[in-house]
Amino acid sequence: MDSATLIQTLLNSVVTASIYALVAVGLAMAFGVMKMANFAHGEFFMVGSYTVYVLYQLGGFNFWVAVALSMPIVALLGVATERLIFRPTGKNILAGFMATVGLGFVLQVAVGRIWGVGMMKRIDTPYMGAAEIGDAFVGWQRLIVIPCAIAMLIALRYFLYNMKLGKALRACAQEPEAAALMGINIRTMTMLAMALAGASAGLAGALMAPIHAVTPYMGHGIVLIAFVVVIVGGTASIGGAVLAAVILGFIHTFVTTLTDSLVGTMVGVGFMAITLVIRPQGLLGREKP
Amino acid sequence: MTELHRKYRGWVPVIVILAILCIIPFHMRAYHVEIAIIYFMSVILAASYRLVTTTGDWGFAHIIMQGVGAYATALLAKHAGIPFIVMVPLAGFVTALVGAIIMVPMLRTKGFAFFIASFAFGEFIRMLWMKVKHPFGGTGGITGIPSPELFGLKLASSVNYYFASMAVMVIAVFIIWRLDRSRIGNAWKAIHTDDSLAECMGINVARYRTLAFVIGSFFAGTAGALLAYRMGSVDPHNFEITQMIYLVIWVVIGGAATFWGPLIGVTLLTVAFEWSRSMLEWRPMLFGGLLILSLIFMPGGIESLLPGLRRPPGEHYARFRKWLTTVKPG
Amino acid sequence: MALLEIRNLSKNFGGLAAVSDLDLDVEQGEIRGIIGPNGAGKTTLFNVISGAYRPSGGTISFEGKSIAGKRPSTIAAMGAVRTFQRTALFEDFDVLGNVSVARHLHAKETVFGAIMGTAWKMEAANKKRAEEIVDFIGLGEVKHELAVNLSHGHQRALNVAMAVATEPRLLMLDEPVAGMNPGEKAFMTEVIRKLRNEWNITVILVEHDMRTVMGVCESVTVINFGRKLAEGTPDEIVSNEDVIEAYLGSEEILGEDF
Repeated sequence: MDSATLIQTLLNSVVTASIYALVAVGLAMAFGVMKMANFAHGEFFMVGSYTVYVLYQLGGFNFWVAVALSMPIVALLGVATERLIFRPTGKNILAGFMATVGLGFVLQVAVGRIWGVGMMKRIDTPYMGAAEIGDAFVGWQRLIVIPCAIAMLIALRYFLYNMKLGKALRACAQEPEAAALMGINIRTMTMLAMALAGASAGLAGALMAPIHAVTPYMGHGIVLIAFVVVIVGGTASIGGAVLAAVILGFIHTFVTTLTDSLVGTMVGVGFMAITLVIRPQGLLGREKP
Repeated sequence: MTELHRKYRGWVPVIVILAILCIIPFHMRAYHVEIAIIYFMSVILAASYRLVTTTGDWGFAHIIMQGVGAYATALLAKHAGIPFIVMVPLAGFVTALVGAIIMVPMLRTKGFAFFIASFAFGEFIRMLWMKVKHPFGGTGGITGIPSPELFGLKLASSVNYYFASMAVMVIAVFIIWRLDRSRIGNAWKAIHTDDSLAECMGINVARYRTLAFVIGSFFAGTAGALLAYRMGSVDPHNFEITQMIYLVIWVVIGGAATFWGPLIGVTLLTVAFEWSRSMLEWRPMLFGGLLILSLIFMPGGIESLLPGLRRPPGEHYARFRKWLTTVKPG
Repeated sequence: MALLEIRNLSKNFGGLAAVSDLDLDVEQGEIRGIIGPNGAGKTTLFNVISGAYRPSGGTISFEGKSIAGKRPSTIAAMGAVRTFQRTALFEDFDVLGNVSVARHLHAKETVFGAIMGTAWKMEAANKKRAEEIVDFIGLGEVKHELAVNLSHGHQRALNVAMAVATEPRLLMLDEPVAGMNPGEKAFMTEVIRKLRNEWNITVILVEHDMRTVMGVCESVTVINFGRKLAEGTPDEIVSNEDVIEAYLGSEEILGEDF
């Protein structure tokens, strides 16, 4: 690999890792609090992309406004999911999860009917051109993902560790019974977790909209990656999700550059298999006795 | 006489249904016969998937396992000239072997993690088919599977293939039913209820989980063979997530607590699927919505509405179990 | 050679040493009690012996063979079985069904046999044995009741019946009389004695109920902070100063049950 390709691949890896991190962190958080996951998480990502398509491409809004709006919109979707699906199924975690599998279908059809299926949506790239680093060229549109993702992750960390509500959320994830005894409302925390999961997935989708193909089915590829990252990181560990996102992001991008994205995903799955055999609780997950 | 009566009373509806199934193909249009053929494969898939979930392992790879059987059929029937009657079980064995292999890492996982791991490995296999042109044919798949023959009878016609696949279905369903009622089946249910207890009572949980997955995969493979022979080809796009989601919908809406639930589910939903052909674009939403509503208002599935459904003595009506820790949300 | 020989056993969880440097010998035919204040490591000890946890160090041998680090089902097959502190049942089965499932080790069934139904003779023998055990433990009247519907005392008894159904030579009971009324406790005590006297099963029990321990155990091991504190007959233990001091530091007072 020559130096230009190497630099390009390294930078693209960081972009990929950023997206993976955004998508996985929300999932890990929701999982930590509710002990259940949302299979429609890929569709959350998709709705984030569509927000940019609808507002920016169709509606002429400023790109950044569209991206910013994707967060509350998908956060709202997350809250709706919590209220309409997770709350009625209550303690039956399996039922709740299976219901989100159905939710995925519902969202795909809804989006497809409103804005059409078939041809992927083209979104004009707001940031044309590429940065020149040495001999390498990396599109600006890709590069701006990195600071956005990092900003979101830092904000999230600050929220979880320095703000009262965030600390309550963490307490809920680690010791729900103790948290309840201290007066923390688990229902509110669950909604909050789903809101944050939605916001981060939505942001990821929004940022990727100009880069990726926008179709109602784009969630399928994302959901697999998101869950693999969470498993490798350790199902309820947010730090683990970020670490796994970096490792898997780099693996995927390098392998894709050398062969293609199918093989890239396959190697990622292979890495997960190895992790499961060597360290089944995940990189930063809690150990079983 | 009454003792015998009671014991075999349950067989009557089964025999009646089988008799009906034997008569109707002669009175249906060819198009409907083809749908029935697919339905028989779906029944095998539903019953075998439920077998796997008896231990509590809800996986997402079952349709891929069908694909493994289909690809095995495509390759062996086409290049090694293996006859139909050998190929169907052989496809099952190949799939069982693949299932045993992927189960090794998956044993480290339970519940949600198992679901994702099985999803990931399934996708891995599907990508392998799409990537590797020799022998899997890449994204185009494999075509030119020889037309099946059974004891000299050509199975190319709809009615003939209908009976061949019905025969496979009956055998499969019978075996799965026997296993469910056996000590092995009880061991699986014990594992589902309390796997540490089962382990301490001498049940090697790893071995039995693997057994359930392998046997379930075997039958998925036979369904794959049936599909490959009928289509004359295999296409990786036949084994995508969407198909797996429909399988889950059949089993969940029918109810997985008893053996019959998934069969009821697959039957009713196959009918619903055909009825909704006019609303093709809305269909996934319809089915997804049905799944959500069913899980909220009828989590036990349709079978929970039928208390008369005979269950083996001592087996109470079961509910879905929590997979994970004892922590409850909300 | 003792039935169960444990040397230098330790189990650590992260930084916490739940069991440290523990030696324990249990002879065949004993009824041994293991007591200690809450959190002393008694259940952890059972978990390590029965295979639920891997030991961090030390050796465990049962009938001369090492069982450290083996699967619980393997250890059960070798003849050492435990019950749980929590009431653990197969909720969807009735009493006989539960005991029947626990006959697993003595009901070899192959897939082919299951499909063809060839095991009926063996199953008949197992059913007979299961009923025998159910009667022995005193659950004969409720044998067709669903396990979830039983009274607490009956459920705990069922736990014991299931463990016995595996035909163990060593039975480890974790708080067998927890939550029982005096009548039920007396009955369970009788059952434990019968298990040893009539069926030659060696019994180790972890218990907090001192009266039961004093009544049925022939020797007692006291554990505190994961270490062996004292060992001897019940009378010796009750008058042992270290033991009294260990208990005075916790909520349980040794003398209270008297």
